[in-house]
Order: sequence, then structure tokens, then C-alpha cells
Amino acid sequence: MKRLVQGNEAVFAGAVKAGATYFAGYPISPSSEILLLAAQQAARSPDFHFLQAEDELAAINQVLGASLAGGKAFTATSGPGFTLMQEAIGWGHQAEVPCVVINVQRVGPGTGMPTMPAQGDILQSQYGSSGDYYPIVFYPNSVAECYRLTVAAFNAAEESLSPVVLLSDSFVGHLNETVDLEAMEVEVVARQRPPLGTGNRFFTGLVHDEEGRIRTADALFYQSWLGKVREKRDGVAARYPFYEHRERPGHDLIIAFGILSRVIAPLLDDFALFRPIRIFPPLVRELRSITQEYRRVIVLEANDGQYAQVVEGIVHRDVIRVSVVGGRFSAERVTTALKQALTSV
Amino acid sequence: MFKDLLKTHLFPTSWCPGCGIGGIMAQLAMAMDEMGLNQSNSVVVGGIGCTGRMAGYFNLDSVYTLHGRTLPVAQGIKMVNPSLKVIIISGDGDLASIGGNHLIHALRRNVDLAVLCNNNEVYGLTGGQAGPTTPQGTPTVSSPDGSPYEPLNLQGLLKTGSRYFYARTTVYHQVHLKRCIKEAIQWPGFAFVDIASQCIENNGRRLGFKTGYEMLAMFRDKYKRAPDGVESLAPLEIGLVKRGEEQP
Ligand SMILES: Cc1ncc(C[n+]2csc(CCOP(=O)(O)OP(=O)(O)O)c2C)c(N)n1
Ligand code: SF4
Repeated sequence: MKRLVQGNEAVFAGAVKAGATYFAGYPISPSSEILLLAAQQAARSPDFHFLQAEDELAAINQVLGASLAGGKAFTATSGPGFTLMQEAIGWGHQAEVPCVVINVQRVGPGTGMPTMPAQGDILQSQYGSSGDYYPIVFYPNSVAECYRLTVAAFNAAEESLSPVVLLSDSFVGHLNETVDLEAMEVEVVARQRPPLGTGNRFFTGLVHDEEGRIRTADALFYQSWLGKVREKRDGVAARYPFYEHRERPGHDLIIAFGILSRVIAPLLDDFALFRPIRIFPPLVRELRSITQEYRRVIVLEANDGQYAQVVEGIVHRDVIRVSVVGGRFSAERVTTALKQALTSV
Repeated sequence: MFKDLLKTHLFPTSWCPGCGIGGIMAQLAMAMDEMGLNQSNSVVVGGIGCTGRMAGYFNLDSVYTLHGRTLPVAQGIKMVNPSLKVIIISGDGDLASIGGNHLIHALRRNVDLAVLCNNNEVYGLTGGQAGPTTPQGTPTVSSPDGSPYEPLNLQGLLKTGSRYFYARTTVYHQVHLKRCIKEAIQWPGFAFVDIASQCIENNGRRLGFKTGYEMLAMFRDKYKRAPDGVESLAPLEIGLVKRGEEQP
């Protein structure tokens, strides 16, 4: 049935559709609706477990434990909580624990401008934990996509056996749109690994081999292990090459995602749009070939050029960086920022 | 055989000769063996530290969590599969310092977990720094003039709720240690076993002990059995205090 659904609500519905049975979280706007929905779900259904954690360190570690015990598990937070979760996200990659972390971004650093929207955690979502690890990251810009991509995030987590990040922002999270979630067809990847209490395995954040033996003194082992981890991530990510490209030959190309890709809708007669939906690993092939078609490439984002760095590193040319920060994104403001940037190059 | 519960092919363990952790592992394995705990019904969870490494020596599914995070990981496990016995084995630094907030809340929620705390009064793995359990005045690498603070009162903390299980024992008192472990595993709620044990390399030697055995002898001489059924353990008493077993 078609009805008005909020972005955060669609995320929660997507998680349930994907088979999630466990949520732990700590309240933080603009993500709290997800926590409240999880509490209601647990009250309705004995198969769904909800825990309001003592802090985000607890929440993410509870999620990791729940996942090991056989539940599909997730948490939702915003910038400050996402930062607290980083160590455990890295652990989840090392110990190979599937789960989903939702970050409804707001302005930072620190407490920032609660709870105005921002896109300041783009690089944190990829590099926030210590060491080299390779999280898959999606970023929807509509309510329907919040639903679909949450399911995709759970699927990618199962396939990669690692935490997958779904970025959102307070605009997308609080957006209301008319959708028919029940009518949307999605595929769900089932849990493969047997739960805790069925074997003789050692789940550890220490570097270890496939038999679970600790390998903390072997550089060459580490090197080949890291290569394999990356290959595996790339292999899984290749099944999710999500993006939107609105061609406009002869015009300039804007690269944007999340809220800003919605705000610029009125400008799309004059600009082409490339919207990466899978933010990480970046869509290297698509970025290279599509940017070639345009004389000027603009990366428009609600942070000080985080994704622009990523794009420049891939396309090997300068892009025009347009940062719209501080949480107010009217079409006028964005248009002015674009004009200024284009006249100054 | 309790040895079947252990990955003896990985021995010798990573612990220093004379360390107290091995004694805890042996008693835990024996307790589990006697209770019929095995791969199909139990999980061992350790947190970073010399003690937490014990998780990897058990012949069943085990988890070696981040430093301080045993309790939330165990709670997630327990919520999804309440029929599993979840046994936590970790250091005093891991449980009471970096994991202190989780300790408060796991006991507030009375999560059905058995927590074995290896209380060696220092951070063993990182070289013997002072921690929340270091007695006031004890010199350590990070408190050369003696630790300036009173240690945390673990018994007092554990007894803040209406239901609790707190046992204090030592690695010298092996029979008592095993009994405490068994009772903790059987306890239908949050059970905490505070085990005095020796870190000979990064604590004992600085305090003048020459061997691990000398430290064990110190436990033998210093600790006395509390009478059964006491409401509170006096300092240097081993025994257990519990309340609220019959409540759901
Ligand atoms: C977040 C984090 N901070 C610090 C450390 C370093 N570290 C590892 S073990 C440890 C303390 C170990 O002491 P304890 O928990 O008492 O266990 P023990 O080694 O004595 O058994 C510390 C500080 C770490 N691994 N992770
Ligand atoms: S450093 Fe101390 S606690 Fe760690 S293994 Fe050695 S003696 Fe045991």
C-alpha cells in the first residue's frame, strides 16, 4: 500500500525485510527514530531483540556479539556516536563479523550544529578505524532508496562477512515520501555461517589465518592476507555498482550524493549529474569514463572537499570543489555557491 | 577429560612461567567438564590482555574482543541465544577500567553471564602499569611513588542492586576457585568472580617476589575463608555473597 514514509522508517523497514533480528543503539538525533522503531518491533515480536545500550561502544559491540550468535544485527547513530564505534567496526572487519551500521550524518566536529544535516563523515566511513580495512558504504537520497539500500547493506555484509555502512543525513533521514514498500521487490541473502555454540572457532581481532591461528609476527603473511581482504571486498562490491547518471552533453558535470543531489534537482537542465550511490569502494570505472565526457567536473558536497579528494585521486584531474557547509541547503544557496566556483576558475 | 576442552596442541601458552592465569584456565576447564559444558552449549569470551587470551585455548567457539568490550559482546550473544552458557574471562583492567561502564550496566541489567576476573592488580600485558585495582601505595611502572588512589571496591560495586553474585577467591585456593566458577556459571544472573592471581613478571618481581610460587604462598598465608552465608566479605577473605537467586 502506498503511504507516506520517513527515510529513517524506510531504513528500519529495510532492515526487517533483510531479516534483522537484533538492534542495539544509543539515542542520538537525527537517527533516533530507528532506535524507537526497533523498541516497538521488539515489543511486538519475540523474535526481534532490542537493547538501548549504555553508550555507542556498547551498542556496536553488542551488535557484533549478536551477529556472531546468529542474528542479523544493526545499529544506527550519528557523527559523535559513529566516531565511538570506529574501533569496533575495525574489529568486525578483522574478526569477520557481518553487521550494518547506519550513520545519519549531522554537522560536526564534536557536537557541531545539532542536528543540521551534513556530509562530514564521508572519509570517516572509510578510514575511521585504525589500520587498513575496506568497508562497503552506500548513501541513498530518497525514501525508496533508504529501504532498498538497507537491504543491500545487509546482503553485502553477509557476503563480505564484515560491517557495512549506510550513510544518510538528517535531511534524507527525515524526508517523507510516498512509497509502497511492500510492493518493492528485493532479494535477501541468507546467513551462511553457523552461529556460536556449534563449533570450535576463534573469533579475534588479532591477525589470524583461515584456521584461526594467530599470525601476529609474520609480515609476509600480513601482506598477502591484506591483499585477499581487499580482493574479497571488491568482489562483493562489484555486485552493487549503484549510481545514477543524468547525461547532459555539452554541459558541466556535477558529482553529488545524498541531500545535495536532491537540492540541485532544479539545476539539472543546465548540468549533468553523476550520483554515486555506492560511495565506497568508489566506482572507479564509471567515474573515469563518465568524467571524460565533460569539460568541467564539479564535486558538490556538504563538507570541505572530502569526496573531491577521492574523485581527483581516481580521475587524475582537478575537479571544482563546491562545499556547502553549515547545514542549510536551499537551492539558492547551492546555485550561488556553484556560480561563484565556476566564475572563479 | 577436562583436557579435551583445551587446545593443548597450542601449549606452551603465551603466558610467562609462574603466571597465575594457567591455574584459572585449568580450574575453568575442570569446572566446565564436570558441568557437561562443551562446544554445543557454551562460549568463552575474553577481552584484550594476558588473561583474555585464554579464550583462544578453549576447544569451543570463543571470542577475543576489543579491550574492555567483553560484556557488550557477551550480552549480544546472550540475547540472541539465551540457552548458551557465556563465560567471560578477562583482566581487572579490561573489566573494571576501560570496560567499567559496561560492568555497571551489565550488572544493572542482571545479564545472565559468568564473569571471571583475573585480578592481578596491574595491567599485565602492557608492562605492569597501575590500574583500578592496584592497592594504594603500590609501586608500579606508572606509579613509581606508589599508586596514589584507593582501589575500586569491586564487592561494593557488585552489590549495588537487589540481586547479585560476587565471589572472591585466589589461584592458590584451587578447590574454592573451582567451586566459585561452578556456582557463577549456575547462577541465573550476573555473576562475578574476583580471582586474586599473580603477575610475576610485571608486578611480583618489582614487589620483591622471586617466583610465582612465592606469590601463591602469599595468597595462602594472607587470605582466610569467610564463614558460609556472610553478607559481606571482609578484606582478604575468600568466599561468596549472593542475593536474589529465587527472583525471576
Ligand atoms: C583501546 C585500547 N587501549 C589500550 C590497549 C592496550 N592494552 C592492551 S591490554 C591492556 C591492559 C591489560 O590489563 P588487564 O586488562 O588487567 O589484563 P592482564 O594483561 O593483566 O591480564 C592495555 C592497556 C588496547 N589494546 N586497546
Ligand atoms: S605479564 Fe604477568 S599476567 Fe601477563 S603472562 Fe606474564 S606474568 Fe602473566
